[in-house]
Amino acid sequence: MGTGNHTEPLRSRFAGDAEMVELVHEFVQELPQRVQALQGLMRASHFDELRRAAHQLKGAAGGYGFPSISESASHVEKLLHAGVGQAEISDLQSRVDELAKLCGRAVAA
Amino acid sequence: MTTGSETPSSTRPRVLVIDDSPDVHRLLKARLKQEEIEIISSESGEAGIVELKAHRPDLVLLDLDMPTMDGFEVLRAIKDNAETVHIPVIVLSGLNSAEDKVSAFDLGAHDYIIKPFELTELRVRIRAALRLNFLLKMLAQRAQIDGLTGLWNRAYFDRRVQDEVARVQRHDGALSIAFFDADHFKSINDTFGHPAGDAVLQGLGQIIQRDSRQSDIACRYGGEEFVLIMPATGPADALAFCDRLRLQIEAVVWPRHPERRVTVSIGVAGATTPIGVTAAAWVEAADKALYTAKKSGRNRVVLTDLLAGHAAPAEPLRKAG
Repeated sequence: MGTGNHTEPLRSRFAGDAEMVELVHEFVQELPQRVQALQGLMRASHFDELRRAAHQLKGAAGGYGFPSISESASHVEKLLHAGVGQAEISDLQSRVDELAKLCGRAVAA
Repeated sequence: MTTGSETPSSTRPRVLVIDDSPDVHRLLKARLKQEEIEIISSESGEAGIVELKAHRPDLVLLDLDMPTMDGFEVLRAIKDNAETVHIPVIVLSGLNSAEDKVSAFDLGAHDYIIKPFELTELRVRIRAALRLNFLLKMLAQRAQIDGLTGLWNRAYFDRRVQDEVARVQRHDGALSIAFFDADHFKSINDTFGHPAGDAVLQGLGQIIQRDSRQSDIACRYGGEEFVLIMPATGPADALAFCDRLRLQIEAVVWPRHPERRVTVSIGVAGATTPIGVTAAAWVEAADKALYTAKKSGRNRVVLTDLLAGHAAPAEPLRKAG
């Protein structure tokens, strides 16, 4: 993945789209809460709910014009789809961290 | 018009969106704001089924991956129900898998859109589906309408009379059925030409349609014969109404042949409570009453009260002179 080491802001593909400005703004504002929720579910090992949340974030991020977040959420979802054993936990944790980092870079405009 | 209530709607088409993600609802609403459509949202398959029954949408946008009841189950439920099977369904999915597409089409999906949506693609696919739905509805309705008079046709009558008789047996209500036949119609055609005959048929259809109630079902049975199904109408009311129609028709001055009036004979079969009569027997009784009206001099109404069981010419209403 080419996004891992960057720290520059992540802009929506729809940044210039008048129809979307308000929605993208709202999405970005709510993003930290979503990330917190994901991390909470990860800590509590609520994998079913985590999969659900990742799935929804995957769809939403794509819709709001953040394909890289969508792709990252999709990695989390896929890992959980296969089922999580002790061996996969650390892999999963790093995928969730990666997703959180990426979300932290999202800006509204 | 009797048929008016079931014409394809000229109001904004209704689109039901079934998706468990609130984001998708928000996005679609923003993306489709400019479209002339009304959007209804359901956040689960189960809720979607309820909305579907309540709103009869013109199109369903359906997410595949939902917890509890997934999109495939919803699609199956829509296509298994005779009342919703014709509603086109566009499947929405983030899974770009050939297997899912094939399953969705096998289950009767109309189209498939991958999330995240490409704005223009989304719009044209929705428009195409709505256009198809509109044409299908129109076609289905055209197939039930008589081309000359605009009334329901014989095929529609045959189906509808079954439904109405079954309903009256279940719900303990009144029902009457009347057959109308233009007297000496052949001589109108022979004397004034077929266009004049057609104008008479259109005129008769118009009068029957215009004067009957919204709930009555006016059909052209064939040739110069019309039939009117009158739900919630007992024999006495049906007789009085049909005799008013008879008098109105008799009074019409026809532009193509002002010197020649047109009269009709009418046979009515009715009952105030269900009596275990089949639709076929009901129709036969009305037809027999019409035959009696013809034989006893035309331009009159003859009533069969199915409870009394025999055809009786309506004495006080028989045409004097």
